[in-house]
Amino acid sequence: MTRRASSKLGAYAALSAFGLVAALVLGRPEIVALTAPFLFAVCLGLALGGSPRFTAEIEAAERTIEGDEVDVRITLAASAPVDRLDVFVRLPPGLRVTRGEQARSLRLARGERRELELTLRAERWGAHRIGPVYLRTRDPLGLYSAEGMLARTPEIRVYPREDTLRRILQPRDTQVFAGSEVARHKGEGIEFADMRPWAAGDPLKRINWRATARRGEVWVNESHPERNTDVILFVDSFAEARGEDASTLDLAVRATAALADAYIARRDRVGLISFGGILRWLEPGMGTVQLYRIVDALLDTQIILSYYWTGIDVIPQRTLPPNALVIALSPLLDSRSVDALLDLRARGHDLCVLDVSPVPFTRRAESGVDAVAYDIWILRRDALRHRLQRAGVAVAEWHEGAPLAAALEEVRAFRRHARVVRA
Amino acid sequence: MITGGLAVATLASLTAYAFSGGDTVASAGGGIAALGAVMLAVGILLRFPFAVPWAVLLSGAGYVLANVHRSVVDGWAAVVGAALLLAAELAFWSIASDRRIHQEQALAIRQSLTLAGLVVAAGLVAFMLVAAAAVSVAAGLLLTALGVAAAVGAVGVVLRLVR
Repeated sequence: MTRRASSKLGAYAALSAFGLVAALVLGRPEIVALTAPFLFAVCLGLALGGSPRFTAEIEAAERTIEGDEVDVRITLAASAPVDRLDVFVRLPPGLRVTRGEQARSLRLARGERRELELTLRAERWGAHRIGPVYLRTRDPLGLYSAEGMLARTPEIRVYPREDTLRRILQPRDTQVFAGSEVARHKGEGIEFADMRPWAAGDPLKRINWRATARRGEVWVNESHPERNTDVILFVDSFAEARGEDASTLDLAVRATAALADAYIARRDRVGLISFGGILRWLEPGMGTVQLYRIVDALLDTQIILSYYWTGIDVIPQRTLPPNALVIALSPLLDSRSVDALLDLRARGHDLCVLDVSPVPFTRRAESGVDAVAYDIWILRRDALRHRLQRAGVAVAEWHEGAPLAAALEEVRAFRRHARVVRA
Repeated sequence: MITGGLAVATLASLTAYAFSGGDTVASAGGGIAALGAVMLAVGILLRFPFAVPWAVLLSGAGYVLANVHRSVVDGWAAVVGAALLLAAELAFWSIASDRRIHQEQALAIRQSLTLAGLVVAAGLVAFMLVAAAAVSVAAGLLLTALGVAAAVGAVGVVLRLVR
């Protein structure tokens, strides 16, 4: 801690010096009487003051979920009396105090140990580092103060609150490993696909006895195998529209976490691409560990201003496996991300786009040029969505407050009726 | 706000005491002391600690000017000195206090007691000085030498503490 004299010490010393000199020059003893209290205060303060000796630690839970509360404990232990100790905990924007005091003054006796409790509410997902924690001590008369801060403060990783999805988007193609998705091709599985005459090597359990009895020859059932799929979640972090409490990136991150959870529960392989000022990716994987990897990677996603023209060439090829379903969550605000999506589609990827609408975060002017510009912007967004749909991309606009399942249902409806075009 | 109000009230009472002389010089001294009280009020409102010593200086100067015509030492000088210290302490307390910082009640009580003890002790010291000055006026070389030795000793103690 850095110890320094307060302005009071300087003021009292100056008053004392000035008073004594004035008393000598003017020959007025009462000036000494006026000055003496200040001189006495300086002497007493210097005698009583000393360097503070105490330790401080802060601890908090490492993980929590958006909207939940987390307890923070600051432990103070003094080896010498601390007459006045001010503690101030600076909090990042995503955390808010619900119980306890963010700034407080207290006294520590010799050997006393105090624990200050703070309850914080995690209001926004992300990796929030608590602090700095500022500490300031003052001696009994306030002539000296010492200031410092805790060097190590905990980081709270706030996971986004996920929607529960009953139905998710089914990829066009499946992979080779067992999963929950019924493959289009025929093979060993449970779902009935077709019947055909018996051929050498067909097992007895596949014989359809009713069809065999009716047709006079042996017929066997064919089935669709259950396979897993590859899903790539593509988060556009080039730009966002932000309101007071939420932003398009917040919605996209929550939706991504919900989708990752739903697909991994089906034993699908899920990967992540955060496409923006900083490119982040996770190769497809499966299991709970992969889910935590994805959510952890999402916590570090942020909008970083960049003028660098980035295309999908910078994405590692293994991150975009063939036959993977690419679900993009984008506000469609930055032309780089729009071009990247069109490029993905042009390369034959099975792509669908959840347009995280920035419109609720904006306000149309009453009249004038601004109103016209706003209307043109809305029309251009419609045109952009149609352009993507013409390219064979299923696009659904998702507004803040609307359930994610509704947007997914819109995408599913488009994919059900759209004709698959292979270049 | 309470401490700030008390600080200004203390200097205001000093101003009234300076005005109590009744003559022109006392009025001039009272005016200077009043200026000090106003400066203290402004300093507290603007949270400007450097205004405090100037306010105390003006109030003290006003008191001295109001009593300049007296040939003997004013017996209330010790009380005035303690009052000046009280006003300065309360003003610094008011400026340093922050509503956003939750202060424990025991801490406020302890600070009040410390302040009261400091002012009383400082007043006693000032009273002893006034008494010594009154004695030394009538005394000879011996007491003067004793006073000088005490002053040198006090400076030595201060230097020792500072080091």
